[in-house]
Amino acid sequence: MKAQVTGFLKNIVNIKGTNKGLLIQLNDMASYTEILDELKKKVSDPALEGDAEVQVQLANRHYSKAQLEEIKKVIHDNSKMKVIGTKCDVVTVEECNRMISERQSETYVGIVRSGQVIKAKGDLVVIGDVNQNGRIEAGGNVYVLGRLKGFAHAGASGNKEAVIAASWLEATHLKIADELETMTDELDSLSEQPEMECAYLHTSGKIIIDRLQELRFLRPQISTFKGGS
Amino acid sequence: MGEAIVITSGKGGVGKTTSTANLGTALALQGKKVCLIDTDIGLRNLDVILGLENRIIYDLIDVLEGRCKIHQALVKDKRFEDKLFLLPAAQTADKNDVNPEQMKELIEGMKADYDFIIIDCPAGIEQGYKNAVAGADRAIVITTPEISAVRDADRIIGLLELEENLEAPKLIINRIRPHLMEAGDALDVNEITTHLSIDLLGIVPDDERVISSSNKGEPVVMDPSNPAALGYRNIARRLLGESVPLMTMDKPKPGMFGKLKSIFSSK
Repeated sequence: MKAQVTGFLKNIVNIKGTNKGLLIQLNDMASYTEILDELKKKVSDPALEGDAEVQVQLANRHYSKAQLEEIKKVIHDNSKMKVIGTKCDVVTVEECNRMISERQSETYVGIVRSGQVIKAKGDLVVIGDVNQNGRIEAGGNVYVLGRLKGFAHAGASGNKEAVIAASWLEATHLKIADELETMTDELDSLSEQPEMECAYLHTSGKIIIDRLQELRFLRPQISTFKGGS
Repeated sequence: MGEAIVITSGKGGVGKTTSTANLGTALALQGKKVCLIDTDIGLRNLDVILGLENRIIYDLIDVLEGRCKIHQALVKDKRFEDKLFLLPAAQTADKNDVNPEQMKELIEGMKADYDFIIIDCPAGIEQGYKNAVAGADRAIVITTPEISAVRDADRIIGLLELEENLEAPKLIINRIRPHLMEAGDALDVNEITTHLSIDLLGIVPDDERVISSSNKGEPVVMDPSNPAALGYRNIARRLLGESVPLMTMDKPKPGMFGKLKSIFSSK
């Protein structure tokens, strides 16, 4: 896909049909005003009919939020099309730093005791127990090499794919993204011997607890290890 | 140069003051010069348990505010010649009338004169706790085999571990009832120590005579035949560097149990 959208696009604005819907490609070599004018012309073409959903490809150019809103407004005002997303091939330094910190893993060695809060932007590895009323929070995944008996929150910045894994998972509260689960006796998924388990957010929106061995099938993307023999 | 030890627990009613009085007395019995400091300002009790209530003239606040010299405020326990002293708390002030810097300075100045300074900490984690911990070199955490007490001990250990000048805290499990532990109706010693994961300094069995002797103003530790007294004496010996095996209670031998029974039934 990426290869198609380059500076060598002949047109300033290109509208393409793909099997996933319409695609509006903006030429990253053209000036912004040129793009707006051309876009307005292209989308108001009566040949384009129907209220299709479109993706806007921005290629190698950074647009400010206000500019993106302006582009959307041009499309919405001059056609029945609805912009469902934008895709940009460049990121700002700020975004990049945030992405790096979210991908990093931080390690805490020791016991997280009652009243203590440990936070990480990316993944969090706790080597030790998390006692009741202790709280661990991570933007990414939470891994506990020890007994998780307190409160664990994974995907704190909204990542619904985040998981909580522990050698011994007997937390009082589990939270993934915005979904909170209190581990009361009524929960059927609680096991007698909560050894080597993980919690993840099921597509139904509920937090499910499963054996740790299932993690590689549930969230294969967590594994960053390539190759091997 | 003496050592300042703070006795704390987070939760109230687990036996901080009783333990302070008994450990202080046990150390004095071993020939050490001990000063007990009650920091529970506004709710002082340590003087009552030691039977020294009527001898108080000045208190901690008087010393800190310069109304008297330290030696004027100290109450000497006449049962142990020049070995056991009490610096009582004020009853008419409150915990916010003292700050940690003052306590640190006071205790630092007293260390040269004593082998042990034992600080009785009030319940809670607020100002009173901060004052009590400020001057200490090490901390002893008291808990009982109850979940609520263990939770609060966990919290207090977390706070103690943040104090830079403090050695790693040690644990005393107080008021152990062997029959409940054996039946699995109370947390057992192992469960508590693995949960809190700090060193166990000792265990003290629950005994009615701890209460009666406190009411009489004679710490139970003075009666060598009492099981709770034995617990406290063992802890005092460990504080002095001796290695004393833990009292066997989780698997009581018939002999031990019989002994306990005979103690109860004889009174």
